[in-house]
Formats: sequence, C-alpha cells, structure tokens
Amino acid sequence: MRTQDGFVAARRTDWEELQGLLDRGKALCRLPPISIARAAALYRAVCGDLVHAQSAGYSREVIAWLDDLAARAHNALYSAPPYRVGAIWDLIARDFPRALRRHARFFLLGVALFVLPGLLGFAGAFHSRAFALQILSPDTVAQMEKAYAAGFGQGRSGDLNAAMAGFYVYNNIGIAFRCFATGALFGIGSLFFLIYNGLVTGAVAGLVTVGGHGRNLFTFTCTHGAFELTAIVISATAGMVMGYALVDTKGRTRFGSLRACSRDVALLVLGAALMLLVAAAIEGFWSPSAAPDRIKWGASVAAYLAVATYLTRAGRARPKPEASRP
Amino acid sequence: MGATLDNTADVDTPELVRFRYRVAGPVRRALAYLVDLAIRAASLALLYVVVALASGGGKRFSSGVMLIAAFVFEWGYYVYFETAGDGRSPGKRALALRVVKEGGFPIGFIDSVLRNLLRGADFLPVGYVLGVLTMAGDARFRRIGDRVAGTLVVIEARAGLASPLVLSPPVTADEVAGFPPRPPLSLSERETLELFLRRTELTAARREELAETIAPALAERMGVKVQDPVRFLALVHHRATSGAPVQRS
Repeated sequence: MRTQDGFVAARRTDWEELQGLLDRGKALCRLPPISIARAAALYRAVCGDLVHAQSAGYSREVIAWLDDLAARAHNALYSAPPYRVGAIWDLIARDFPRALRRHARFFLLGVALFVLPGLLGFAGAFHSRAFALQILSPDTVAQMEKAYAAGFGQGRSGDLNAAMAGFYVYNNIGIAFRCFATGALFGIGSLFFLIYNGLVTGAVAGLVTVGGHGRNLFTFTCTHGAFELTAIVISATAGMVMGYALVDTKGRTRFGSLRACSRDVALLVLGAALMLLVAAAIEGFWSPSAAPDRIKWGASVAAYLAVATYLTRAGRARPKPEASRP
Repeated sequence: MGATLDNTADVDTPELVRFRYRVAGPVRRALAYLVDLAIRAASLALLYVVVALASGGGKRFSSGVMLIAAFVFEWGYYVYFETAGDGRSPGKRALALRVVKEGGFPIGFIDSVLRNLLRGADFLPVGYVLGVLTMAGDARFRRIGDRVAGTLVVIEARAGLASPLVLSPPVTADEVAGFPPRPPLSLSERETLELFLRRTELTAARREELAETIAPALAERMGVKVQDPVRFLALVHHRATSGAPVQRS
C-alpha cells in the first residue's frame, strides 16, 4: 500500500498544475484548447486521487484539500453556457409570452383581483369621501388632488420628466418585484398586493374624478397604464404560480414543486420588469406631454391593443401547411 | 469518514466521484451581506457626489439618475456579481463564500435572478427573519430564494496542503522495537493523533498531560512499554502513516 506522504509527494505537481489553471478563474474557456484538455485530464486524475485517498483512509486534511480542488475544477469544467445577448431577444419574442399563456388562468384571476377592487374603490370614493379616507391617508389625498388639479396642458419640463422616470423605475418595478416575491408565502403576499393596489388606484381615481379633474388623471395614465398595470398583474401572476405550487405539489415535496415552476416564474418576472421599463419611459416622457387629449386616447387604445396582441400572439409556432391527404 | 455532524453537502459527479462542500451558515452569510451592504451604500454615495458635480446643480435630473442607480444597486447588484463573478459577490468573496447549484454546477442568470428577487420574501417581516427561520429548518441552510432557485452557499476551504509531519529526531530502530508493522489504529484514532501532533502551540506540560490519557491504552493494545508518551504517540503515528521499512537489528 502506498503511504500518504508518498502519495502526496507523487501527485502534488499535478494538483498544483490544476490549481494554477483554475486560478485564472473565468478565463478557463478562453485558454488554448490544449490547456482545457489538460485541465479536464487533471480533473479526472484528481477524482481518482480523491477516491483513492478516501478508501485508503488518508488524513482528513488531504481529503479536504482534494475535495476542494475537485469541486472547483468541476465547477469550472461543467460551467453554464456563456451568456448571449440573443437570450434577451428570445425572452421578449418567445419565452415570456409563452410562459404567460401557460399560466393564463392565474393571469385572468389576477386581472379580476385587480380590476374588481379597483371598481369598488372608484365607486366608493366617488360617492363618499369618508370611504376614500378609510383607504388613503389624508396626505395622499391632498397630494393627489393637487397633482391632478393643474393638468398637463403645458407639458412638463424635461428635467422633471427625467426625475419622475427615475422614480417610476425605482418605485414601480420595486413594487412589482415585492408583489412577486411575497407570493412565496403560499401566494398570500401577491394576492394582498393585487387587491390593495387595485383598491388604492380605484380610490384615487374616484376621488380625483369627483373633484372634477378626472380628465387630467385619465389622459395622463391611459397610455402607460397598458404596460404598467398589465405588468403588475403579471408579476403577481408569477407570485400566484409559486404560491399554488406550494399547495398543489403534484406528488413532489413542497420545495421540489416550487423548483419545478421556477423557470416559468423567472421568465414572467423578467418580462414584467421589461414591460415596466417601457411603462416608466412612457410615463416619464409621453404621458405628461402637452399632446391633445384625442391623441393620448388614441395612443392608449393602440398601447392596449399592442400589449394584448403581443401577449396572445408572440412566440406561437407558425401554423404548419395542411398536410395533403390522399 | 464515519458519521459527520458537519454541515456538508455531498455532490455526485458524472465521474462517479463524490465530493463534499462545506455549507455556509447564517452568521457567515450575514457578515457577507453586511460587507455587500456597505459596498453598495458607499458606491451610491460616491455616485451621488459625481452626479451632483457633473449635472452642475440640475437637482431634478440628478435625482432621476440617482433613483435609477438605487434601483440597479438594490436589485441588480447581486445578479450581476453572481453571474459575472462566478457565484461570488464582493462580500461573499471577502468571506470565501460561493453560490453553486445543488449539483455543484456554477449558478446561471435565471437562478441568480430568482434567488435575489426572492430576498423580498426572505426579508419579511424585517431583517431577513423569515430567511433565517427557513435556513434553520434545512440541513443545507437554504433560504427561500435558494430553495426556489436550487442553489446553496458554500464555503471555499482554501487551506493549503500542510507539509507532512516530520519526526525530530529521526526514528531509531531501538525505539520501535516490538512495534507491530501496522499499528492497530482505527481511522479516527489516527486522525486524532495527527491533530494532536500538529498542535505544536501547546506547552510541553500540556502535551504530556494529553498524551498520557491515550498512550497507555495504545501501548497495551500493541503490547509495548511507554517511556515518553508524546514521543510514543509520534512514533505510532509515524509507523501508521509512513510505513517505513522496519530495520530489525
């Protein structure tokens, strides 16, 4: 039997060579092919050494060292495919809308859980100011009434637009991400955020409308709403998919069931985030512009149609030509 | 290796080799988080000064830029470093941590997005309480984000390979007269001996005291007599590991 010291002495140069290759880090895939082949061979040799060390009962320290070396080499050699810019295009053109259609039931449920509380909030605030004050803080009420009193007949200055676009990115996408993440608690967080946001949005709209400035509010929000509201519902959809996976596990463990839906969930959230970026740009620069109302309404209709067409049609396989049958 | 109480995770490779990771616990990960938090805060503060100077007092414009930067730092920081930096954010690097997939593979973009967006759930209700509770219920210390993404955070043990133990003065044949060619030691006993012999920072008296607790039992098993317990343990270990040919005189 080989002794431990003899074994270490004999194999040490190989180990150090492999370590040297690994210490170049990420660049392993950019090394000349011969070095990559060498690293692979050394890795397999280290695997053999590890098994030998374990079975021969060498000291724990030697085994730990080989463990670490093997783990690092494994991590480097079995690396993930390199990132492609094209993956973003795949996400937009195909993967995101497809993932949403796979979970269309949850999306529709999300729409209902957003729109119905929204209508309730609107009607309540329209008829009773006290109702609105139950939902919104007095500060918010005063702020909203002031914000939409003047309207955007003159447009808004460019630097304020930039500041607001930044705010929309930070605030709205942040809300969407939390709306998604809290879905991990059996979906409860997502449901709460949906209903709450619906109620608040509706109440603000009702309040501003009863104050006589409804036109200002709706011409401001109608275009970007197509992207923003849809994206908020989509991120909640992702949260609900996660929550439901915890409930209906289809025979898996609860977390195994979560794992199984994780790719779809990530696609949904990434897609929603991209939509919110579009929304923030529109909300920052187009919505407050001085364009006439009719044009804004037209843009709104176009935006909703575009979003609906995109989500229902994009990434569908082209219908195959009918096979001719004898 | 016997039963382990350690926080390790085994990984089976296509080469039919099993290696193990040391899984990182909550404290080490919290420290890494604090390092990252400090880096993010400092970068934002620095950026704020730069933007404020560059925009020449255009307050609104710079606040827009800062908000976007704050967004990127809050949600994009970890995703960027974990995917571009091979599973290590600067804080993790500082504490020798790395995020890997459960099979020991490197983490991908989608995995990183999931585990980091779900910080929103782990953070609840405040200060990652839910995340720590979830970790407490898992042998691999995975928080919610880790479980959904199928990742774990491991410690990279980058200890160097220690040099072999050398006996000084060298073994003489007289000393090991009567030793069996392979001392009857179990694996864990041999490891215990090695740990003891490498612990040179102990005082001579303490070494002797420790050696006396085990040397007589070993000697009895081997059927030899002990003069100096410390030296005796070193000899036994030497015989067990080096297997140097015995010179019978």
